[in-house]
Amino acid sequence: MKKVAILFRRAPHGSPHGREALDLALLSASFEQEVSLIFVDDGVLNLVKDQQPERVGAKDYIATFGALPLYDVETVLACEESLVEYGLDLTDLTIEVDKVSPSLITEQLSKVDEVLVF
Amino acid sequence: MSKFIIQVNGAAYASSASYNAYRFAKAALESGHEIERVFFYQDGVLNTNTLNSPASDEFDLTQAWVSLNQKYEVQLVNCVSAALRRGILSQNEAKENQRKHWNMEEPFEMGGLGELVTGIETADRVISF
Repeated sequence: MKKVAILFRRAPHGSPHGREALDLALLSASFEQEVSLIFVDDGVLNLVKDQQPERVGAKDYIATFGALPLYDVETVLACEESLVEYGLDLTDLTIEVDKVSPSLITEQLSKVDEVLVF
Repeated sequence: MSKFIIQVNGAAYASSASYNAYRFAKAALESGHEIERVFFYQDGVLNTNTLNSPASDEFDLTQAWVSLNQKYEVQLVNCVSAALRRGILSQNEAKENQRKHWNMEEPFEMGGLGELVTGIETADRVISF
């Protein structure tokens, strides 16, 4: 079993990166890999709750983040500096995440076998 | 010697990502490394459109992947759902979706994301472009 980190760096809906990152995360988890999700930069916008992606012609994959616990994905980190940049508190987010410093993210990246950036 | 899986996320010609992926794959094979498979995901599936027809003085990336397969028998796999939503269909998908045309053929093949995940598991390293 490998440890895989999936890094969300881009804002949702403007490109399919976030959706395809989540697809890969859930599939990896269902193949019994140890998956961690890390949200940095514009990627933290994936976490904002009450989004209505259908209004811009996009699929609502944001709701699917709620399934992460069912897949036993336990490590979900969001960069505190990126959250501050967008004025986001934990109460603005659709799922429970650990708000962590960039150095803790670096530490997590060094603990995993592979990092996939979206 | 290492065993790699190559993940290609960039479209042919839209960015240099897929060309760099091809150069890496070729160099790795020429140096005696093994490539578990090349997995096309996101816009990377557009590399496998057999209708890609660049001008004769341009590098033909789709054909370059085919040559790599012919020389080294490296497996070239598309994520089928990423491909379908970008209009890349094999004869089989065209039939299933009642389309008159298809634009992907052997040696490219359709697979699931699971083939990327199992490839990551068995390879020493995944290299993404």
